[in-house]
Amino acid sequence: MGWLQRRPVYQDQVLKELHVEDRSSILGSMDNDEASTSGSNLEIHSGFRNTLHSSVYGFTQQNLPACKPVLTPGWVITMFLSVGFICIPIGVAALLASQSVVEIVDRYDTECIPEVFRDNKVAYIKDDSISKNCTRILKVPSYMKAPIYVYYQLDSFYQNHRRYVKSRSDRQLLYGLKYTDTASCKPEETGNGLPIVPCGLVAWSLFNDTYNFVHESVELKVNRKNIAWKSDREHKFGKDVYPFNFQNGSLIGGAKLDPQIPLSEQEDLMVWMRTAALPSFRKLYGVIEIDLDADEILTVFLSNNYNTYSFGGKKRLVLSTKSWLGGKNNFLAVACLAVGSSCIFMALLFVLLHVRNPRTFGDPTYLTLDRKSNFA
Amino acid sequence: MSGGGGRWERVRDRVRSSSSSMRGDRQTRTVRLGRVQPQAPGHRTIFCNDREANLPVKFKGNSISTTKYNLLTFLPKGLFEQFRRVANLYFLMISILSTTPISPVHPITNVVPLSLVLFVSLVKEAFEDWKRLLNDRVINSSPIDVLQDQKWESIPWKKLQVGDIIKVKQDGFFPADLLFLASSNPDGVCYIETANLDGETNLKIRKALERTWDYLLPEKAAEFKGEIQCEQPNNSLYTFTGNLIIGKQTLPISPNQILLRGCSLRNTEYIVGAVIFTGHETKVMMNAMNVPSKRSTLERKLDKLILMLFGVLFVMCFIGAIGSGVFINRKHYYLGLNDRVEDQFNPNNRFVVAILTMFTLITLYSTIIPISLYVSIEMIKFIQSTQFINKDLNMYHRESNTPALARTSNLNEELGQVEYIFSDKTGTLTRNLMEFFKCSIAGEVYGHGITEIESGGAQRSGLRIDETKKSSTAVHEKGFNFDDARLMRGAWRNEHDPDACKEFFRCLAICHTVLPEGDESPEKITYQAASPDEAALVVAAKNFGFFFYRRTPTMIMVRESHVEKIGKIQDVSYEILNVLEFNSTRKRQSVICRYPNGRLVLYCKGADTVIYERLAYGNDTIKNVSRGHLEQFGSAGLRTLCLAYRDLNSELYESWNEKFIQAKSTLRDREKKMDEVAELIETDLILIGCTAIEDKLQEGVPSCIETLSRAGIKIWVLTGDKMETAINIAYACSLINNSMKQFVISSETDEIREVESRGDTVETARFMKESVKKELKRCIQEAEHSMHTLSGNKLALIIDGKCLMYALDPQLRVTLLNLSLNCHAVVCCRVSPLQKAQVTSLVKNGARKITLSIGDGANDVSMIQAAHVGVGISGLEGMQAVMASDFAIAQFRFLTDLLLVHGRWSYIRICKVVTYFFYKNLTFTLTQFWFTFQTGFSGQRFYDDWFQSLYNVIFTALPVIIVGLFDKDVSASLSKRYPQLYKEGIKNMFFKWRVLAVWAVFSVYQSLIFFYFTTAASRNSKNASGKLFGLWDVSTMAFTCVVVTVNLRLLMTCNVITRWHHISVIGSILAWFIFIFLYSGIMTPYDRQENIYFVIYVLMSTFFFYLTLLLVPVVALLGDVIYQGLQRWFAPYDYQIIQELHRHEPEQRSRPDLLEIGTAMTVDEERTFAISQLPRETSKHTGFAFDSPGYESFFASLHGVNVPQRAWDVARRASMRSRQPRTSIR
Repeated sequence: MGWLQRRPVYQDQVLKELHVEDRSSILGSMDNDEASTSGSNLEIHSGFRNTLHSSVYGFTQQNLPACKPVLTPGWVITMFLSVGFICIPIGVAALLASQSVVEIVDRYDTECIPEVFRDNKVAYIKDDSISKNCTRILKVPSYMKAPIYVYYQLDSFYQNHRRYVKSRSDRQLLYGLKYTDTASCKPEETGNGLPIVPCGLVAWSLFNDTYNFVHESVELKVNRKNIAWKSDREHKFGKDVYPFNFQNGSLIGGAKLDPQIPLSEQEDLMVWMRTAALPSFRKLYGVIEIDLDADEILTVFLSNNYNTYSFGGKKRLVLSTKSWLGGKNNFLAVACLAVGSSCIFMALLFVLLHVRNPRTFGDPTYLTLDRKSNFA
Repeated sequence: MSGGGGRWERVRDRVRSSSSSMRGDRQTRTVRLGRVQPQAPGHRTIFCNDREANLPVKFKGNSISTTKYNLLTFLPKGLFEQFRRVANLYFLMISILSTTPISPVHPITNVVPLSLVLFVSLVKEAFEDWKRLLNDRVINSSPIDVLQDQKWESIPWKKLQVGDIIKVKQDGFFPADLLFLASSNPDGVCYIETANLDGETNLKIRKALERTWDYLLPEKAAEFKGEIQCEQPNNSLYTFTGNLIIGKQTLPISPNQILLRGCSLRNTEYIVGAVIFTGHETKVMMNAMNVPSKRSTLERKLDKLILMLFGVLFVMCFIGAIGSGVFINRKHYYLGLNDRVEDQFNPNNRFVVAILTMFTLITLYSTIIPISLYVSIEMIKFIQSTQFINKDLNMYHRESNTPALARTSNLNEELGQVEYIFSDKTGTLTRNLMEFFKCSIAGEVYGHGITEIESGGAQRSGLRIDETKKSSTAVHEKGFNFDDARLMRGAWRNEHDPDACKEFFRCLAICHTVLPEGDESPEKITYQAASPDEAALVVAAKNFGFFFYRRTPTMIMVRESHVEKIGKIQDVSYEILNVLEFNSTRKRQSVICRYPNGRLVLYCKGADTVIYERLAYGNDTIKNVSRGHLEQFGSAGLRTLCLAYRDLNSELYESWNEKFIQAKSTLRDREKKMDEVAELIETDLILIGCTAIEDKLQEGVPSCIETLSRAGIKIWVLTGDKMETAINIAYACSLINNSMKQFVISSETDEIREVESRGDTVETARFMKESVKKELKRCIQEAEHSMHTLSGNKLALIIDGKCLMYALDPQLRVTLLNLSLNCHAVVCCRVSPLQKAQVTSLVKNGARKITLSIGDGANDVSMIQAAHVGVGISGLEGMQAVMASDFAIAQFRFLTDLLLVHGRWSYIRICKVVTYFFYKNLTFTLTQFWFTFQTGFSGQRFYDDWFQSLYNVIFTALPVIIVGLFDKDVSASLSKRYPQLYKEGIKNMFFKWRVLAVWAVFSVYQSLIFFYFTTAASRNSKNASGKLFGLWDVSTMAFTCVVVTVNLRLLMTCNVITRWHHISVIGSILAWFIFIFLYSGIMTPYDRQENIYFVIYVLMSTFFFYLTLLLVPVVALLGDVIYQGLQRWFAPYDYQIIQELHRHEPEQRSRPDLLEIGTAMTVDEERTFAISQLPRETSKHTGFAFDSPGYESFFASLHGVNVPQRAWDVARRASMRSRQPRTSIR
C-alpha cells in the first residue's frame, strides 16, 4: 500500500488539476467524432451532476456529508459536566417545590376499628349492623394554602390486575342500557337477570368511605365537584345514563350510586374508574378551598365502610397542597440531584483518570490486532 | 476487443463458415448444467411440417410461464413461503393465541406488525412475479414467421408447435429449440450468439446438413417432409443426439444443427428451421432450476440469538406463571373470584392458573422476538448490494466498462468476515492477456525477453537486471512479445534445423480453431479465439511469416513467406480433414490436414504431460532438452504447450476416419467414443518444440494481496499450472517471500518417479500416500518448531495436485488442515476443479472459517460454489464463473474494496442492526415484565395495544435501517489504509455473546429505569387541578420515554451521523407524538376501552411530564455513556483509534486516493459508467467466432462443473431484451 503513504495532502487545487488531466486524456482516447460532439455537453453535464446528482452520488458512493462524533475524554467530561449542571438546578428547584407542599397523611384503617374487633377486622367491616363511624383528629403542621386536596390512599389493592382492569364497558358508561354487549364486564355483568349499569368489577368495587371535616367547630366544606378529568365527564360518562340495578346482587362490593344522578355527574365513580398503575395508589376525594393555618386542628368524621381488611390493605387519608410540579414527591428531585451530582462526580473521576493515566488519543500503539501473534 | 457494430458485416463475407469437420466433433465434452444428466434412451419422433401427424403425441406448447404464482395460488403459496420463516410462524401462532380470552392484548397487537411485515414481503413477491408475468407475456406474444400454405405467416410464439417450419430473421431470437435446415448464407451456415445461455458473447457457427440447404424459400420449404428422431428433452446445452430421416436417408444430427431457444441469430439474413422442443421443454428452460441460496454465517448465528430469546422469553413467562399461581387468592374479593370464575383465575387450581398465565405472558412478551428484523435486514442488504456495491466507482473497471455486480444480497456481511481466500491464478491474478514470449524448437530456445517474474526473482536474490535494449527485430503487438532475430523475417532458414522450424510454424498456423476477422492483411486482421492462448499462437505464426488469413469449412489458407527462399510469398491452402478438439481430459488438440501436395499430417498441441506420453519412441535428446526448456519456461512464469506432428499415410487415415465417423454418429456416449477414437491416431507423435506464453500479472495484484494479508486474510492460490509457474506467480504477487519458511510437497521427486516407472498403479498409490504422509508429518513438526521459536517465520506450503489427492484422504486430511492453517500462504498447483472445491470445503467445514473463492473460468465454478462467498472475475474467459458467483468484479484488486470496505462496513452495519434490534425489543419487553410484578402476575399489559403493535414497525423501524445503510466507522480510504481493521470482522468482534451481554445488561438497566422511574415519579404527581394519573397515563409516559431513549440510543451507536439519521430519529419520535395526539383525540364506536383518551393532553399540561421526559432518558443513557467512555479509554477498539487519529480530517468527498489508482470518475467516465449500468448483455464486448462454451485455459478441466441457473435468471436472459438491431455501445 505504498501509494497510500505518498498520498498527496488532498488539496482541492491538486485534485482539480488531476481531474482536468484525466478528463483530457479520456477525451483524447475517445473516438474523435464523439468527443467533438459531446464536448460541449460535458460542461453542462458536470454542472448538472454537481448540483442535482451530488446527493445521489454521495449516497451510492456512501459519501454523504456527516458528522463523526468521537467520544473523546473531553467530550465525555463536557457531557457529564453539562448534564450535571443542568440537573442539579432542576433538582434543587424540584426539591424546593416538593418541600413546599404540605401534606397530612393519616392512616386510619386500624385505628378506626374498635378494640374488640381488632382481631377480626373482616367480620367488623362486613357486619352492616355496626356503625362504621370514626373520628380522627388532624393537626395542620404548617400553613396550607388553598386549594387543599383531599385524597384517600389504598395499599395492596390491585386495581391493575388484568381481571379487574378489563372488567368494565366504556360503551355502556357512555350509552347506558342502549349498549348491550357488556361481555367484557364479567363477572359483574348482570344481576338478578338484569343488566347492571355501570357494569363490571371496577364500578362494583367503588370506594365508599366518606370524610367530613370540622374546622374550629365549623364544618369545612369539601368541594367534591370537578374532581374527575374533564374529558371523562364530558366524553366518557353519559349525560343521560343513570345507574341501574347497581349493587343489587347478593354480594355488595362498595359504594352505591344514586340512580337519580347521571353518570356524567358521578365524579367519584369517574375517579375510581381511572384505574391506578400500581397496587398502592391515591385518589382524589375533594378539594378544601380555604387556607389552613399552622397548628390548626381538623376533626375528621369518617365512615370506615370500605373493605381493605380482607387483603390486608391500608387506608390513609391525605390532605395535600400542590406545587408547580404536583404533589409531595421528592423522588424526581432527588433523582435529579443524584444524577446531577453523580455526573459531576463522573466528570471529576474522568478528569482524575486523565491526569493519572493519560491516554494520548489516536495513539497507534493501542492498535491491538497488529500486535497479536498470527497463531493466537 | 476492438471494433464497432459493423464489424461482423465486414467479416461476414470473409468468413463463409468454419470447417465442417471441425464443427462436426463439437460434442467432445459434457458440461453438466443441471442436475439431470442427458438421457439418450427414449426418443421422440417429430414429423416436420405436418401438424396433424404430430397431434397424437401431444407435444407441449411453446408458451412459457416463469411466474411463481398465479392469481389463485398467490395468497396461499406466498403466505406459505412467508410462514416458513420461524419468526413469522411464531407471530402467527401468537396472533391466534391473542384471539383467545387468555390473551392480555387485543389481537391487533400482534396482527398489525405481522401483517405489515407480510404485506411488505408479499408486495415484493408480487412485484417480482408481476414483472415475470409481463416478461412472459411479451415473450409469448412476440411474432414469428411460420410456414403455412407455402407462405410465411406471422403468429405469436406461444402458438408455435413442434414440427413447425419457421423463419428467424437477423437479430431475432429463436423461439424454440430448432433443427437448422437452411440459411440465407451460402454453404448453410449461420452465426448465433449464446449470451443468454451461458453469458458468452462470442459468436458461434452453426451449419445445416447439406441435404436440407435448399429448403429456404417458402415454396420449397413446404415440400420438406422429414422425420426427426431425437432424444427426449433434457437440459444438456451442449449435447444433442438425433437423426433426420428424409425419404429413405438417415442423417445424424449433431448439436451443430441445433439452434437453442434463448440464442439469437447474427450476421445472417434469415434461417429456416424445424421446431424440435418447445416451451418448457427447451434446453434453456430445462436448465432453469433453483439453486439453494447461500446464507451468511452471521445470519445463522442470528438464528441462535432468536433461539436464545425464546429461552429468555420462556424464563420470563415461567417466573410470571409461578408468581400468578402464588398470587391468586380469594382475599382479593374485588377481583370477583367467586365459584364461577374461569380457570385462569381460579384459586382452587393454582397449577392451571400458572399454565394458562404462561400462555398469557407468551402473548404479552411476544415483542421480545424482533418480528421486523428479517425484513429490515433484507431491505438493508438489498440496498447495500444494488446501490452501494454495484455502483461503487472504486470497483468500476474503466477499460472493460464493468462495474461490480452483487448477484446475491444475502452475503454482504459475509464479505466482512472472510479469513481464507482461494484464488485461481490465470485470469484472476494474471491478466489473461497472453503474449507469445519464447519458444523452443528442436532443442533450441528462442526469445530473449525477461518476464516480470524473472526480474522480480532476480531482484529478490539481489541481482540487478538491466533492461536489455530491444533489438530492431523485436515485435510487440497484442499477443506477441517476442525478440529474437534468429527467427524473424525468414532468418530461421539459417538455423540448424529449418525443417523443424517450418513444422513448428505450420503447426501454429494450422492447428487451432481460431477465426480470422477483418481485413485480410497482416496489420489489420484480428483473430477471434475462445482462449487467448490460441490467438497468441496464431499471431506468433503470422509474425514468423505464416499468416493464417482465411478459414472455410474445409480449408485453412496460410500466406507463407520465406519458405522456399527469402522474400517469396505464396498462399497455401491446407485441407482440414478432421479437428480433434481440445477438452479438459484430453488436454490437447489435433488437426489432420492435407497439404496441397497430398501430404497427410496430424498436428497436435497440448500439455507437456499428455504429449510426452504419446511421442514416438526414440529421439531422447530432443525430448530431454525440451523438457529442460519446459521447466525453464515454467519457472519464468510462462505457460507452455508442446507441439508435435505425425505424418500419416492415406490407408491408415481412411481406416481411422471410418471409425471416427462411426463414433460421431453414435447416440450413446458419443463424447467418450470420440475421445477413444482420437486416442488411436494421436500416437507416435514427433516432438517439434514448445511454446511459452506470458500471462502478465493484473494491475495492483501484489499490493492488493499484501493489503489483504495485512488484513489477516490468508490467500491460497489454487492453479492448474506447473509448480514452478505457480511458485513464481506467488512470489511475483508477494504472496511468498524469501523470509518465509517454505514447505514443498511435490510428486515430482525421484523416488516417486522411480516407483511410477515400474508401472504398478496400486503400488504407486500406496507409495505416494506413504510419502505424502511422511512429508506432512515432517512439515507439521517443523512448523510447530518454528512457531515456538521467537523469530516465528511465516510459513508457506506448496503442494501439487497429485499429492493433494492423497493428502485429502480422510486419514491425512486433519494433518493437512493443521499444517495449512498455520501457513500464511498456500499454493496448490496442478489441481483439478474438483480438488479446488475439495480444498475449499476442507477449510470451510474442517476449520469452520469463512472462505471466499475467486476465479474467472469455468474450472473455478465448483470452487466458487463450494466457498461461503464466491467471487467471479468478469474477465475474458466467458461468464461461467460469474454466473456461478455471488459477486462479480472486473479485477482482482477490487477485492480490497469489496472486502475491506463493503464487506467490513456491511458486517459492522448488520451487527449494529441486529444488536440494536435485540436491545430495543428486550428493553421494551422488560418494562412489561417489571410491570407484571406489580399486577399480581396477572399478565395485564402495561401499554396500549396500538403502542405495542406500532413500536416495532413505526416508532423504531426507520432509524435502524438508516444506520444499516449509512453507518461507517472509518472512511473507505482509511479502511484500506489500515487493513488490520478487518480482523475485527474475522474475529467476529461485534457479534459475540459478550457484546450481546453488554447490550442485554443495559437493556435490563434501562427497562428498570423506564418502569420504576416513571411509576415512582408519577406516584404523587398531579396535574394543575390536583388530579392524579392512572395506569394509562403512566404507561403513556413510560412509552414516550422508551421511544425517545431507544431512538437516542441508536444515535449513540452511530459512528457517523448524517442528516438522514437526524431526519429518521426525529421523524420517529415525532411520529410517536403525532400518533399519540391523534390517537388520544379520537373515540371509536367500538368498545375497545379508550383508555388513552385525552391522556397526552393532560400529561403535556404538567411540568412533571417534561421533567420526567428529560430525566429518564438521561439516566437511562448515562450508563451507556459511562460504558462507552470507559471502553474507549481503557480498551479501545482499533477502529476507534483510527477514528481518533483522523478525527480532524474532513470527510474526503473527492477521494484523492482514487486518483492514485486511476479510477477517479470524470464526467466521461460517469457517462460510460451510466452506460455500463444498462442491461449487461448489451454492454459487453462482442464477438469471438469460436464455438467453445466454457473453453478455459489449456489446463482447465470442465468435469463436474455445475453452473447454477436460477429459474428467474434463465428466463430473463432467455427472453428478448430489445428488438432493435444490435448496436455496440462504445
